[in-house]
Amino acid sequence: MRYRLVLMAAGLVLSSLSLAAQERPAAQGASYRAPRTPDGVPDLQGFWTNLTYTPFERPRELASKPFYTEQEAVDFFNRSIAGSQDQIVHYVNGDFGATPVQTGARPNRRTSLVIDPADGRIPPLTPEAQKLQQALLAADKARGPLAQTWRDDRGTVWCVFHDRAVPAIVAPYGSNYHIVQSKDWIVMTYEWNSERRLIALDGRPHAPASFRTYAGDARGHWEGDTLVVETTNFTPKRIFLGQPGTPPAVSASPALTLVERFTRTADDTLVHTYTVTDAATWTRPWTVELPMHRIGGPMLEYACNENNQDGFAQLKNARLEEAGKLAPLEQMRRGDAKAAIAEHEEKGAATVIGVDGKDESK
Amino acid sequence: MRRTTAAALAGAVLLVVLLPRPGEGQNYTAPRTASGQPDLNGFWQALNTAHWDLEAHDAAGGPILQLGAAYAVPPGLGVVVGGPIPYKPEALAMKKKYAANALKEDGEIKCYLPGVPRMMYMPYPVQIVQSNEYILMMSEFATAQRTINMMTNTRPPADTWMGWSNGHWEGETLVIDSRGFFGSTIGALDPEGAIEVRFLDRAGNYHTDGLHVVERIRRTGPDHLSYEATIEDPNVYTRPWTISMPLYRRVEPNMQLGEFKCEEFVSDLVYGKYQKGSGQ
Repeated sequence: MRYRLVLMAAGLVLSSLSLAAQERPAAQGASYRAPRTPDGVPDLQGFWTNLTYTPFERPRELASKPFYTEQEAVDFFNRSIAGSQDQIVHYVNGDFGATPVQTGARPNRRTSLVIDPADGRIPPLTPEAQKLQQALLAADKARGPLAQTWRDDRGTVWCVFHDRAVPAIVAPYGSNYHIVQSKDWIVMTYEWNSERRLIALDGRPHAPASFRTYAGDARGHWEGDTLVVETTNFTPKRIFLGQPGTPPAVSASPALTLVERFTRTADDTLVHTYTVTDAATWTRPWTVELPMHRIGGPMLEYACNENNQDGFAQLKNARLEEAGKLAPLEQMRRGDAKAAIAEHEEKGAATVIGVDGKDESK
Repeated sequence: MRRTTAAALAGAVLLVVLLPRPGEGQNYTAPRTASGQPDLNGFWQALNTAHWDLEAHDAAGGPILQLGAAYAVPPGLGVVVGGPIPYKPEALAMKKKYAANALKEDGEIKCYLPGVPRMMYMPYPVQIVQSNEYILMMSEFATAQRTINMMTNTRPPADTWMGWSNGHWEGETLVIDSRGFFGSTIGALDPEGAIEVRFLDRAGNYHTDGLHVVERIRRTGPDHLSYEATIEDPNVYTRPWTISMPLYRRVEPNMQLGEFKCEEFVSDLVYGKYQKGSGQ
C-alpha cells in the first residue's frame, strides 16, 4: 500500500551532519552567482523545502541572542532530532515528508525564524486587532471540544485553503515547494493542499481592490539576483498565524501587504525573507527569514478534499459521542521511540527506512 | 454605380475576414520561447459545450427544476471525432445509469479534481506556464493543476486524480501521454463523498482507472490552440477514440486566474448530515 506505516530511524543517521552544509545568510553568499534560465534571469526552479527545527518565535530566554554558535546550532539540531523520535509511527517519506529531518532540514544558526523585531517575536496587536482576536478565540471556545461543522478544524481537515502557504509558516511536515519559471510568470506550488502562487513578472498592476483571494495577488520583479514579490488583496476570510508555535490566529485588515525576497545563495539553498505590514493589526511590521533547501522531486498532488476521511470521521464521531454511542478516544501512545521500533520489528509490523528513503530492512 | 462599389468593397472586406490569415492553421509556426520551443504560454479556454456533453446533443432541461433555463443544457455538435463514443454494450448501460444519478456521481458537483482531459474543456480558463523541464497547466476550477514532465519519461509513482503526464515535442506539436488516474473513491470515503467512476462531462460519459490519454496540442495562430485527446480505457470502450477542438486565448489585458476554491461551496452538502448547525 502506498500509505504503509513505517518507523523512521532518520535522526541517528543525521546526527553526524556538520554545519558545513548549512545555508549562509544572504549577505554572506554574495560571491555566488545563480545559474540563469533561458530568459537570462536567476534560476530558482526545482523542488525546495523550508522544513526546520528552528522555532518561529525566539524563546524568551534567548531574547538577546539571535544566533547560536556553530556548536550550539549542531547541538540544538541533534536535540531536536532526538525529540522528534518521541513518536511511534510516521508515513513513508517517499510519499511525503514526515518530520523536518527526513526531507532535508539542516542546522540553522538563527535562534528563531522571526528576525525582526530584534527580540525575534511577533509584535503586539493593535487594540482593535486584539478585540477581533478575542472574538475568534471566544467563538472557538463556544463551539466546545467536538467538531460541529467542516469549518471547525482549520488546521488539517479544512481543505479550502492551507493558511500556512502564504505567508509561509513552516509546517511539521510537507512544507515543500515546486518552482517553475517562464518569462512572465513564476509558479510556486506548495505541497500541503497543493496551494499554488501565481506570481506575475510582466509589470502589470495589482488586480482591483475588490478581487480578493486566499493566496493573495502576487506581483514580482527582479532586484539584481533577488526576486521581490509583493502580495496584496487577501480575502477577509483569511486568518493569519494561529499555527502550532506561532501566536494565536488573527484576522487582518484589507491593507495587509506581504513583501518577500527570494535569493539563491548556493546551488542547494534559496533564502526566503518576508515582511508583513498591516498597521491596523500589528503595532509594527515583522520579518521572517526561511532557508529553503533543495530536495528531490517529484511532488505529487495533495487531493485534500477528495480524500478527506478526517472530515467525515471527526463529524460522525462527534455526533456519535454526543449521543453517548462512542467513548472518548484513548490518548495516543507516545514514548521511547527505540523501544517502539524494537517492538514493532519483533511483530513484523514495521519497516525501518533511512533518511534517503531507502528501505534498509532489505 | 456608387452602390456597386460599396457592395464590392463590402464583399472584399467579408472575404478578408472569412479567409484564414496568412500562415494560420496547421501550417502555422508558433513563436518560440527563449529556449527555442513552440510558445504555449498564456491563458486558454474552450468555447463549446463539451463540458455538458462530449457527444452531439440537443438542448435539454437542467437537473434542478427550480433553476429553470439558467442551468439547462445548451445544444452542441459534439467534439468526438467520427461519431459517438465506442462504449462496450454493458458500459453504455452503466453510462445511462450514471447519467441518471449524476447529482451523486459527478465529481464536479463535489469539487473533486476534474482529471484529464476534462479539465481542458471546462468553462474555466487554463493557464499554461512553460519551462524546459516542466509545463504546468493550471485550471481555475478547484486549483486543479497538471505537471507535464518534459525531461523524463517515467511510470506513475502512484495513482492521482490528475494523472501522471510525460510530454515531448514532435515539431510544432506538444504530445502528452498520461496514465495513473484514480478511477473512483470506492472504499476510501464515506458513501456521501464516494463516486464510482470519473465523469468526462456532465452527461455521464465516464472512465475508470484504466484510462490512458494521449493529447496533441499545437498553436494554429496567435490566439488559437488545436487540442486533440485520444482516450483509451479497455474497461469501458471497444477502441481508442478522439476528441478535437480549438482552445482560444483569453486576450483581455492583464488576464489572470482567480481562485475557485469550490470545496467551500460544497462541503455543507457533502458533510451536511453529520453537521450540527451551519457553523457560520
